[in-house]
Amino acid sequence: MTNKSSQQRTAILGPLLGSELREWILLCLLTREEVYARALAQELGFALLAVQRQLRALEDGGVVYSRLRGRTRLYRFSPRYPFRRELEALLNRALEALPKRERERFYTPRLRPRRAGKPLPR
Amino acid sequence: MRLTGLSVRQLAAVVCDRLEWHGFTAVLTGGACVMIYARGKYVSQDLDFVVTPRGPLSRIETALAELGFRPQGRIYVHPDTDMVVDVGNPWPPAVGQEVLEVPAPRRVAGHRLRLLSPTDCVKDRLVAFYHWNDRQALEQAILVCLARKVDMRGIGRWSRNEGMEPKYRQFRRELTRRRRATCRT
Repeated sequence: MTNKSSQQRTAILGPLLGSELREWILLCLLTREEVYARALAQELGFALLAVQRQLRALEDGGVVYSRLRGRTRLYRFSPRYPFRRELEALLNRALEALPKRERERFYTPRLRPRRAGKPLPR
Repeated sequence: MRLTGLSVRQLAAVVCDRLEWHGFTAVLTGGACVMIYARGKYVSQDLDFVVTPRGPLSRIETALAELGFRPQGRIYVHPDTDMVVDVGNPWPPAVGQEVLEVPAPRRVAGHRLRLLSPTDCVKDRLVAFYHWNDRQALEQAILVCLARKVDMRGIGRWSRNEGMEPKYRQFRRELTRRRRATCRT
């Protein structure tokens, strides 16, 4: 199940990975280092279950690992995945090939710290 | 099949041999290798295998069921032992970014057992120390180094390739300190 926000994204590695959603999840992992399913589902405009299924498949394949923080399961690229460097290089190439506006969407939300109470720039 | 009284090495060999007999290639990794190499100085309850081909899980289940293992979530349990079998680890056998040659099978009480070499076992533990700062994994790596001959130059080269030279130096310092302490006692 997709909505408007997913339809506005370009998939470059989709044919290779067998899934556009998987590509976007991997790109989010590349740019954010750590992701969780609900935020990805909201951002990418997919059903939570679909995102969870992709993350589970990536975890089963050793590409990512997860750990619980509170009640949230956080995912990262696994340092044990032997093709991590090659995968990151491929994803970086795919990211560079995206139109600038789309590429920048993978860089949000802002990751650097901001003092509590200071409003975020619009 | 009764599995009571078997050592970890023997139990791992029984499981590995059964998987191989069913056409799988299975390599023992993880804490069980530490347990085997560190001669009882470390206790693990997991027999972690990297298995190929990954086909339908039912084929692996059939192989393990012949030994009396039954699935419980993603692991396999047996009434005769506290050790659990995990075959969910993805192929290929690797330590960090280094893909390993598949180890040749050794004979253990008539069964085939493929397992990481002591050097690769140390690297396997160091991955967790390098990337997650896991002190238990560092301790396990040291226990294997104290008990077995390992290729320290190879471990150094591999560590540099992983971009982990500072942590490799930390590991070497700790190992030297432990070796001295062992000599004194």
